[in-house]
Amino acid sequence: MRFDALFDLLRLGFENLLRNKLRSFLTMLGMIFGVGSVIAMLSVGAGARKEILERIQSLGIENIIVNSVKPPEETKTETQGNRRWVDKYGLRFDDREQLEATCPSIRKVLPVNLVKKPVWSGSRRVDASVLGVLPEHLAMFHLEAGRGRVFNALDAREAKQVCLVRQGLGEELQLLRDPVGATVNVGNESFEIVGVLADEAFRSHTQKALAIDGRTQEVYIPYTTSMRTFGTMTFVRKSGSEERTLVELDQMIVVAKSADLVRPTARIIANVLERNHKRKDWEIVVPLELLQQSERTQAVFNAVMLVIAAISLLVGGIGIANIMLATITERTREIGVRRALGARRRDILLQFLTETATIGVVGGLFGCLFGLAAIRAVVLYTGWQAVIEPHFVLVALGISGGVAVLAGLYPARRAARMDPIGALRYQ
Amino acid sequence: MSGDAIVRLEAIGKDYGAGAAALTVLRSVDLTIGRGEFVGIVGASGSGKTTMMNILGCLDRPTRGRYVLAGEDVSTLDDDRLSDVRNRSIGFVFQSFQLIPELTVRENVELPLGYVRGARITRSKRHARAVELLTSVGLGHRLTHRPAQLSGGECQRVAVARALANEPALILADEPTGNLDTKSGEDVMQLLFGLHAAGRTIVMVTHNPEIAARLPRVVEMRDGEVLRDGAPHGARESASVGANDEGRAGARSDAHEVRRASGTTGEAR
Repeated sequence: MRFDALFDLLRLGFENLLRNKLRSFLTMLGMIFGVGSVIAMLSVGAGARKEILERIQSLGIENIIVNSVKPPEETKTETQGNRRWVDKYGLRFDDREQLEATCPSIRKVLPVNLVKKPVWSGSRRVDASVLGVLPEHLAMFHLEAGRGRVFNALDAREAKQVCLVRQGLGEELQLLRDPVGATVNVGNESFEIVGVLADEAFRSHTQKALAIDGRTQEVYIPYTTSMRTFGTMTFVRKSGSEERTLVELDQMIVVAKSADLVRPTARIIANVLERNHKRKDWEIVVPLELLQQSERTQAVFNAVMLVIAAISLLVGGIGIANIMLATITERTREIGVRRALGARRRDILLQFLTETATIGVVGGLFGCLFGLAAIRAVVLYTGWQAVIEPHFVLVALGISGGVAVLAGLYPARRAARMDPIGALRYQ
Repeated sequence: MSGDAIVRLEAIGKDYGAGAAALTVLRSVDLTIGRGEFVGIVGASGSGKTTMMNILGCLDRPTRGRYVLAGEDVSTLDDDRLSDVRNRSIGFVFQSFQLIPELTVRENVELPLGYVRGARITRSKRHARAVELLTSVGLGHRLTHRPAQLSGGECQRVAVARALANEPALILADEPTGNLDTKSGEDVMQLLFGLHAAGRTIVMVTHNPEIAARLPRVVEMRDGEVLRDGAPHGARESASVGANDEGRAGARSDAHEVRRASGTTGEAR
C-alpha cells in the first residue's frame, strides 16, 4: 500500500516533468553538467589510479632502485689536466656488500652493469646500451621473450655470450634472417641472439627510473658475461680526447623483504651511501614514492574537478530551487485545492520533493550520458585512461537526486505551509 | 433534530489579530444543522459568512466556542487531523470550481480518494469510483477531458462529483452558481436539490435571493452574528439581502418547478 502511494507520487512527478519539457530541461541543465563532471572525474581519476598502479607493478613495489650518476661538473676540472685520468664514481662493490651484510630488511640486491657499446653486423652499426643483468632481473621487470628464450642461470654461470634484443634492433641492423639464433657483434665480441623481447616498451617513467636511455637500443646480456668481457671501465671517444669512466656498479635493484620495509630500507641505504661517498654520485628511486607523488598530483587534479563538479551541482541546485519557487507560486491554487480536499502538509511536501527528486534523477541520467560522452572525448584527445564502473552511475544519480531534494526542500516547505484559505483565493 | 445533528456550533467566535488591534469577525454564533438539511447562508460582504464557511469547512479554526461535526469535536484538532476531517467529512463546491487544470476530469474527481488515510484506496478502485460519480452527474463521456475543454456548468458538475467522492457528511457550496449563466446555474442547482432529496446535508452560501428563496432554511448573517434563522419568508425577506424587484417574482415560480425536478432527480447521486 505504501508502495502504491510512492508510485502515485512518482507518476505525478513525471507527469509534471513532461508537462513543460523545455522548462524541465532548462531546470535540469545545471544538474546535467554537474553530474557529467562528477562521472568524468570519477572515471578519469580511476583511470589515472589504474595507470599508476600498473607503473608501480612494472617497477615492483618492494624495490628500491639505486643508480650511479655522474657527479656535478665541478669535479671535472681536476681531470682536465690529465688525459689519463679515470673518472671514477658511482656505486661500489663494497657498498653492495655492506648493505647486504648489515641491513636485515634487504632480501637481495640485484646488480646491473651498463656499458655503451656499438652493436654491429656486417656494415650496419647501432649504438646500444648493453645491460648486464641477473636472470631474475628479467623476470622481475617482466622482460619476456616474444620469440626464442630469455637467458637462464646456466648461461649466467658459464658466462655465455648470449643476448636478448628488442625487435627493432634486427630491423636496424638489417639482419636478413630471423634474429633469433643470429650472431651480432657487441663491441669486439660476438654474441648469439637467443631471444627477442616481447615488444612492449617501458613507459617513459619506468625507463627513467631504470636509467634506460630511450634513444638507444637496449641489449640484455648475463651479468657475469658483462663483467668478464666488458668489465667496469667505459671508454668514450669524444673529439680527439678520450674519457674513461669507471663505475663498479651502474645500478642496483635492492629488494626489501616487504612493502612496509621499503621506506626505512631506502633511508638506511641513503645513510650508508652518504657515509661512504664524498660526492653525491648516486640516486635512489623508490617506486612506492613515485606512486605517492603521482597520487599527490592526482589529488590536486581531483580537487579541481571536485570543485568544478560541486559548483555545477550548486548552480544546478539553485536553478532547481528557483524554478520550484516559481512553480509553487504558479500552482498556489492547486495547493489550496489539495489542502481543502484533505492533503496534509506532509502530502504537499512529499509531492513537491518527489517532483524535484524526479527532475534531479532524470537530470542525473542525462548527466551520465553527457559525462560518458565527455569521457570519450577526453580519452580520444589526451590518451588518458578512463575506467567507467557501474557504481559511478549510481553515485552520480544519488548525488543528483540528493542535491535536487535539498534544493526542493525550501520551496516544498513553503508550499506545505501555505494557508489553504489564502491559497484557494490566490489569483 | 439535535440528536442527529451534523453541525453544532456553540458560541463560535473568530478574531483576527490579537490584543487591542484584534478584529472580531464572528462574535458568538450558535447554529445546529441536522442531517439531511439544505441550509443557505446569506449576508452582505463583511457579515462574517465567509469566515463561517471556512470554519464549517475546517479550513479555519474558531478563536472561541465549540464546533461538533458529525459527532466529533473538531474545534481543537491540529492541522493534520483537520485535513483528515476535510477529506472524510466535507465536500467542497467552490464558486470558481477550483479544478486543477493540468489534470483530467477523472483525475480531479479522484483527488480526495488519494488522500484517504488508513486503508488506501487502490488506483483501480479510485478510477472506478470517479467514473461512477461522473456518470451520475451526466459527464461519463468527458472523463479524459481537461477542465479547460469543459463549459462552466460542466466544470461545476465535476466539482460536485469530486465533493461526493468520499461520501462526506456535509457538502459546503460557496456560491456554486456565482460564475455561471442562468441555464447552467439552474442545472447545478437541480443537481444540489437532487442530492438534498437523496438525503445529503448541504450548506450553501449565496448572494442570489432567488436561489435563497427556494431553500427550506436560510441563515442570515450580519456583523458576525446570526440575524435570522429559519424558512425564507418570501419576497420581503429576500429584499433585505439586496435583491431587486424583478428577481422576486421569478424566484417564487421557480421554486415550484424545483420541487418537481428534485423529486425526479432524487435517485441520481
